Amino acid sequence: MVAGRGNWRLLTASAATLALVVPLGWLWWASLVPDTYSVMEMGVVDLGGGPAVTGHDVHDGLDASTLTGPRGGAADVEVTLVARADDIDLGDGRAVDGYTLNGTSPGPHIRLTRGDLVEVRLVNESVPDGVTLHWHGVDVPNAEDGVAGVTQNAVMVGEQHVYRWVAEDAGTYWYHSHQVSHEQVRQGLFGTVVVQPRSATSAEIDMLAAIHTYDGRRTVNGQVGESWREAAPGSPVRVRVVNTDNAPLRTWVAGAPYRVAAVDGYDLNQPTEVEDTSVLLTAGGRVDLEFTVPPDGTAARVGTGSADTSLVVGPQGATPASTTEPEAELDLLDYGSPAPLGFALDDVDRRFEYRIGRSPGFLDGMPGLWWTVNGEMFPDVPMYVVREGDVVVMTIRNDSGDVHPMHLHGHDAVVVSRDGEPATGSPLWVDSLNVADGETYEIAFVADNPGIWMDHCHNLPHATEGLLAHLMYEGVTTPYEVGGEVDNSPE
Amino acid sequence: MRSTYRVLAMLVALGVVLQAAFIAFAWFTVINDVDSGALTFTGEDDQYNAGHLLHSIGGMLIPALSLALLIVSFFAKIPGGIKWAAIVFGVAVLQFVLGVTAYELPAVGLLHGMNALALAVVADLAGRRVKSGTSTATAPGRSRTPA
Repeated sequence: MVAGRGNWRLLTASAATLALVVPLGWLWWASLVPDTYSVMEMGVVDLGGGPAVTGHDVHDGLDASTLTGPRGGAADVEVTLVARADDIDLGDGRAVDGYTLNGTSPGPHIRLTRGDLVEVRLVNESVPDGVTLHWHGVDVPNAEDGVAGVTQNAVMVGEQHVYRWVAEDAGTYWYHSHQVSHEQVRQGLFGTVVVQPRSATSAEIDMLAAIHTYDGRRTVNGQVGESWREAAPGSPVRVRVVNTDNAPLRTWVAGAPYRVAAVDGYDLNQPTEVEDTSVLLTAGGRVDLEFTVPPDGTAARVGTGSADTSLVVGPQGATPASTTEPEAELDLLDYGSPAPLGFALDDVDRRFEYRIGRSPGFLDGMPGLWWTVNGEMFPDVPMYVVREGDVVVMTIRNDSGDVHPMHLHGHDAVVVSRDGEPATGSPLWVDSLNVADGETYEIAFVADNPGIWMDHCHNLPHATEGLLAHLMYEGVTTPYEVGGEVDNSPE
Repeated sequence: MRSTYRVLAMLVALGVVLQAAFIAFAWFTVINDVDSGALTFTGEDDQYNAGHLLHSIGGMLIPALSLALLIVSFFAKIPGGIKWAAIVFGVAVLQFVLGVTAYELPAVGLLHGMNALALAVVADLAGRRVKSGTSTATAPGRSRTPA
């Protein structure tokens, strides 16, 4: 039998169809991520030019869940935080749907003194997806890091979890849920932490300005509009500005010269006074602004990047400074004076690249436009492997068309250069780095905190869209899994 | 198959019209929200409204429809049908690529807007192949070799 023209046509048509559908189907199938997986099995091992890892498995040995803070001994500070699905009152008569800790959002402020052992009992009363607490910027032991599916299981309704860690470094930090974090943080599951130095040399007025946008309305410390803090003329003030949103913002002091005293919990070396200048504060980042209440009886204003919401500091009834945003922006890379880093940058053990791009494709079966790390989409993102004691340099390059606030857990990195230009000011230690589109940063850190650490974009929806990687210490393993019975979902 | 081809082509053309409507709705919503202070550009999820969401769904559906059109064209025996379906598919892919690129290079958005009209036109022309082809390809099995 000779196949007729019609049959040939049918065959050709079928072959052409398969030629179109099979590659697409393959791409789709290959993108699928199992419902439950360990982060240890995900990603592309990157040794950064360092020594290969001994044994056939990157991860055998130390169980990360044993890397806890001190389990015994009386805590210096004990806090219980009860998480609820609740209405949040923004002080303007309108409430928004969200999540609270002990009935408020932001949750209770935790103030510690350096060296304190803190014990935080997290109780989930009614957050359906479960909760965790991540201590953003605090270099806690790995098991206290609060990442669902990596360092613990999400704490489900009716359950509780105890975090215990020692406040080793003074500075401004914050805490937030790291379970379904792109929803829970936006909807209020966060609070602030300040660690005071042992010798109190602090300003007369030392206050927080936690900036958060609820349902499109920007707030300072949970209040929409102008917040007032009464202060006598001439009083020294430190305002610790915390950006808990997903996008960078600009902050500044109007009506008084100010200094950026600290960034991400690190005091800057010899910061100079600036005026009519704003400072960029990336998502997740903190800056401490120091100034003196104007002696002439007027009030200073701390701007939040929104004309409607700001913090005014001055005597009662005083005229506050204008709400206009300054045009000049401070470049922190040449601000302050250089100081020793504490480690040598000419003896680097590993060099990693973290190139951020964007590409069409499938992410877990969903077609769309997704972020890439080193050209690959999640789950084929890098697994940066280090050994304790390594000096690591990471080059973060962003060609994705959007800004990314990059956050490395458990470590502080010093900014070495931007676009090839070396940093010349005070050492700039960060845990949250603003990488604008087209920028390349070199950062360096010492691998001194064993565990498995997320290294992700703190525009939290971006992390759900694949912009995350992990830093893994050789020989460390985690018993927790993303997905699983409690549906751990760290992003 | 022939009517499927025609319907798919028309759906692509109609889809382009809806996409234009959605994106106009999206950006007028943004302008209105900014004016009323309800939008402060503080994060990705705040910027996107229902119009953007519909446009991004459409942006995936239209290439899918174009792909279906191309596959149907292999079987539909419409004179010039495969060629026109391939053109529609190519222009749809180009439209997707332009849309993706415009995030980084906003000026490419101009081409994205113009190429949208091209997509509607070629989809419409493809759909019309069915009508004009009716007289030439008549009885099914005309070219079949008898078994």
